[in-house]
Amino acid sequence: MLINNGFNEDKIQSPLRYIWSIFKSKSIAVVAMWVIVCLILISLFASWLVPHSPLLQDPDKMLLPPYWVDGGSIDHVLGTDDLGRDTLSRLFHGIQYTLGGALLITFFVSIIGMSIGAGAALTKGVKASILHHLLDALLAIPSLLSALILITFFGPSYVNCLLAIALSLLPQFIRASYLAIEQELNKQYIIALQLDGAAKTRLFRYGILPNILEPTTTILNRLFTMAIIEIATLGFLGFGAQLPQTELGSLIANNMELIYLSPWLVAFPGLAIFIIIIIVNVFAEGLRHAVIEGEE
Amino acid sequence: MLSFLIRRLNLLLITAFILTIIAFAIDRTILVHHQTQPLVQQDYVLQYFSYLWHIFSADLGHSALDQQPLLQRGLTFFASTLELCFVALLFSCIIAIPLGLLAGLFRNTKLDYAIMTVAIIGLALPVFWVGVMAVLLPSVWGDILPVDGNMSLVYDIPVVTGFLLIDTLFVTPEYGLFAFFDRVAHLILPAAVLSFFLIAEIVRLTRHSMTMVMRSNYIQTAYAKGFSRTKIVFKHALNNALPPIIPQLRLQLSTILSFAMTIEIVFNLNGIGTWLFNSLKTGDYHALPAGMLIITGFILMFSIAIEIIMVIISPIRRGSLYADK
Repeated sequence: MLINNGFNEDKIQSPLRYIWSIFKSKSIAVVAMWVIVCLILISLFASWLVPHSPLLQDPDKMLLPPYWVDGGSIDHVLGTDDLGRDTLSRLFHGIQYTLGGALLITFFVSIIGMSIGAGAALTKGVKASILHHLLDALLAIPSLLSALILITFFGPSYVNCLLAIALSLLPQFIRASYLAIEQELNKQYIIALQLDGAAKTRLFRYGILPNILEPTTTILNRLFTMAIIEIATLGFLGFGAQLPQTELGSLIANNMELIYLSPWLVAFPGLAIFIIIIIVNVFAEGLRHAVIEGEE
Repeated sequence: MLSFLIRRLNLLLITAFILTIIAFAIDRTILVHHQTQPLVQQDYVLQYFSYLWHIFSADLGHSALDQQPLLQRGLTFFASTLELCFVALLFSCIIAIPLGLLAGLFRNTKLDYAIMTVAIIGLALPVFWVGVMAVLLPSVWGDILPVDGNMSLVYDIPVVTGFLLIDTLFVTPEYGLFAFFDRVAHLILPAAVLSFFLIAEIVRLTRHSMTMVMRSNYIQTAYAKGFSRTKIVFKHALNNALPPIIPQLRLQLSTILSFAMTIEIVFNLNGIGTWLFNSLKTGDYHALPAGMLIITGFILMFSIAIEIIMVIISPIRRGSLYADK
């Protein structure tokens, strides 16, 4: 047998590529990733994907059950509510509000929080101390309470609810990223890099950032989960999305009085939230394991 | 020890100072926005000090709805919230700590995966939705557990400590144990719903800490000495695996409280969540700074207490007694 090792060059992959190749071998996590892609596509193109308008009322078809139950119709796959509006369409638009809002919050909070956390960890003295105490104070306010405070000032609306949740999740994220960076700063290779005379930005970009991937996935996952739960909670309490908007939590709240007539209307939005969170958690857990294996 | 205490109290004072400023800002903004009282033109610093003076003399103003003093009302409601949290915490510790220890001991086995699946499901279920579903239960299983309010209305319990479990036992002997059992029955479902989240959280923390301990060098040494696995786990690992969970859980306290507040609203319990919610809905905005001060004050005191307890029970933490930083 001809073995020609001369052409079989060992490719040294970049760390991110290596992590990706490990991640690809975890089938459940890859499935979760594609489901997330589908969910994001649904939330982007909800208006074109749905069979009916979420606000279209149909007096002939009120309170239909899902189609697999007796009396259901294939026209309305998940049934209709008390005004004959299609549950599936409302659910898709709900995912648009809830998932889209959570993604926006995660994106902005992670960028702002990471820069503040890094700034606090890399500076010493009065500035860091002031931030420390301010964060301690802000962390003591439960997120629901701070959301309530902000909404009292700005009035209840979907955008204000997103703003309030972002502001209430920001301290937690800053604290978590600060702790992760702080731990990294004590390592020997960072000190070596500092002795080489690396500036703060270079230190962060090449010394710290590649090494805090694992805690970052964990806190990002946590941030996203909390964002979804809080958007839905505020919507449920009536402080979030207002009536024509079909946010998942407010869907549950609006259908509360129908819970004995048609429990589906309350069950489906809750299940949707549940599935979104679980899928994201499975994906993040797979990613985290891939990062850990890649680092070892 | 004394210098440690002074340092902690110093931190507490600074944080409390920032929080009173926030509460003051909320209070003034409400005054400007909603014009509940005629504005007195005055320096903001002077106003702040008079506000601080009011806080120290335990006077946070009166409710615009029922003219009750806000602080007393808020504390009474908060006691019942704490009772809910405490019962849920007890409940979930009993279930979650053994599960987490098992998952940490048998890492990457089927048992571990099963336990972690349960934990992720507990984290993913939205609390208020589980609450709504639990309110449905009596219609499915018959009236086993009550789902409305703190207690049945037949009992008239005077407020002494605010903790109804204690009040029903000691203050009202004429009801015997019936009032107590009634209160317990009203607490079971909300506490169970709250413990969904808590169980997930505690299982995760316990598993992580147990794994870290089992990997450490002294456990390897104990294996090398030829100790049996049971002896290592119960004598060496448990002592070191459990204390680190407490400060981790303390960080989650504000999340737990905000979930408890949501659950109160769903189950119509008389807690601080329902109180704030109803006050805001009816336009009594002065409850907001009062509620904030009560909740954050509790969280601050609790954090300091936990830190002091940790120093007492955990030798690793005792180093912070002497270190400068």
